[in-house]
Amino acid sequence: MNTLIKSMAAAAVCLGLLSGCAVKSASSTDLIERTAPITMNSVAFTDYNLQRTWSRGFGQVEDGERYRLSLVQHGQRPTATGTTEVYVVLRNHTDYDYRIEARTQFFNQDGVPTDVKPTWQRSTIPANSIATYRELSTSTQPLQYRVEVRELN
Amino acid sequence: MFTKNTLKPACALVLTSLFLSGCASKIENVQGKPSVYEDVSTTGSVGGVGIESQDVVAMTDQMMRDMLANPMLTGRSTPPRIIIDNEYIKNESTSVINTNMLTDRLRIELNRAANGRMIFVGRHFSDMVQKERDLKRDGAVDGGTIRQTAAQAGADFRLGGRISSLDAIDRNTGTQSRYSQVTFEMVDLELGTIVWSGLYEMRKAARDNVVYR
Repeated sequence: MNTLIKSMAAAAVCLGLLSGCAVKSASSTDLIERTAPITMNSVAFTDYNLQRTWSRGFGQVEDGERYRLSLVQHGQRPTATGTTEVYVVLRNHTDYDYRIEARTQFFNQDGVPTDVKPTWQRSTIPANSIATYRELSTSTQPLQYRVEVRELN
Repeated sequence: MFTKNTLKPACALVLTSLFLSGCASKIENVQGKPSVYEDVSTTGSVGGVGIESQDVVAMTDQMMRDMLANPMLTGRSTPPRIIIDNEYIKNESTSVINTNMLTDRLRIELNRAANGRMIFVGRHFSDMVQKERDLKRDGAVDGGTIRQTAAQAGADFRLGGRISSLDAIDRNTGTQSRYSQVTFEMVDLELGTIVWSGLYEMRKAARDNVVYR
């Protein structure tokens, strides 16, 4: 009897570990990004084919992750006229050129949406290379930003 | 093989795991209802190699932001007077496009965003203004409530530009490729110098038999 229980427990543990290794697709509802809180001064991949993470569950130390593009760095700086320039450096980890589009939403220091309506801006990231996306605000007040990146249709 | 005592916890464990997995996610990841409206800033269901709505929106948005970051235009103590119309925008490309779409969107968005940092002269409305001025000066109507000026506003800068293109067709596949280049230049109306320039370029390839009107 004890042997049977032990075997079943071992099988259950193995199954748990294996299921933790399974890759979640971009359409999965278990992706962490789907319910992650919106943070200011951040960059988000809204196309989960480009980057996605998921919790592997009990017994797994690290979250599952799959990515084609990654974020190298991002930030903001003032222009000569007092408007804000946001820059995002993206890295392509694939052997293929990726055509993406990105947009920036600006918020004031209280988190209130401000500036003009954001527009998608197209860009190409060469295979295994990096590319920089830049966006300028129209307002001269201090701003926070959130950049969204997706693959071009 | 199984005793009653071992089966009970096993069943309870199975039921608990079923309940927990049933509550795993609250997201219903399905597509919404189809609509005839499309987002003007993204590629629509009908697309070709010409200049389309998403290009108009993207290029005017980019130029607007760039102009507002230029100290020659917006860093002045007295806001400059600017004319933005299609009088000096030439379409030398194979794309069919009403250039007013570019200049109208650019002027309106820029005027809204500039918030007084630039003053826009409505030169395309000058006939309308002159008619009313004549009526006022003839005494047919009163002087209005704002003010009277010696003349209509003169401008400091005016937008010029050009649309050009380069086409290529693969005869085997029928794929058409078009490189489009749109230039915008702000000209000093006294000196003739160019104080700001903007360039928008793109290359599109498609096999769709799209007709632009």
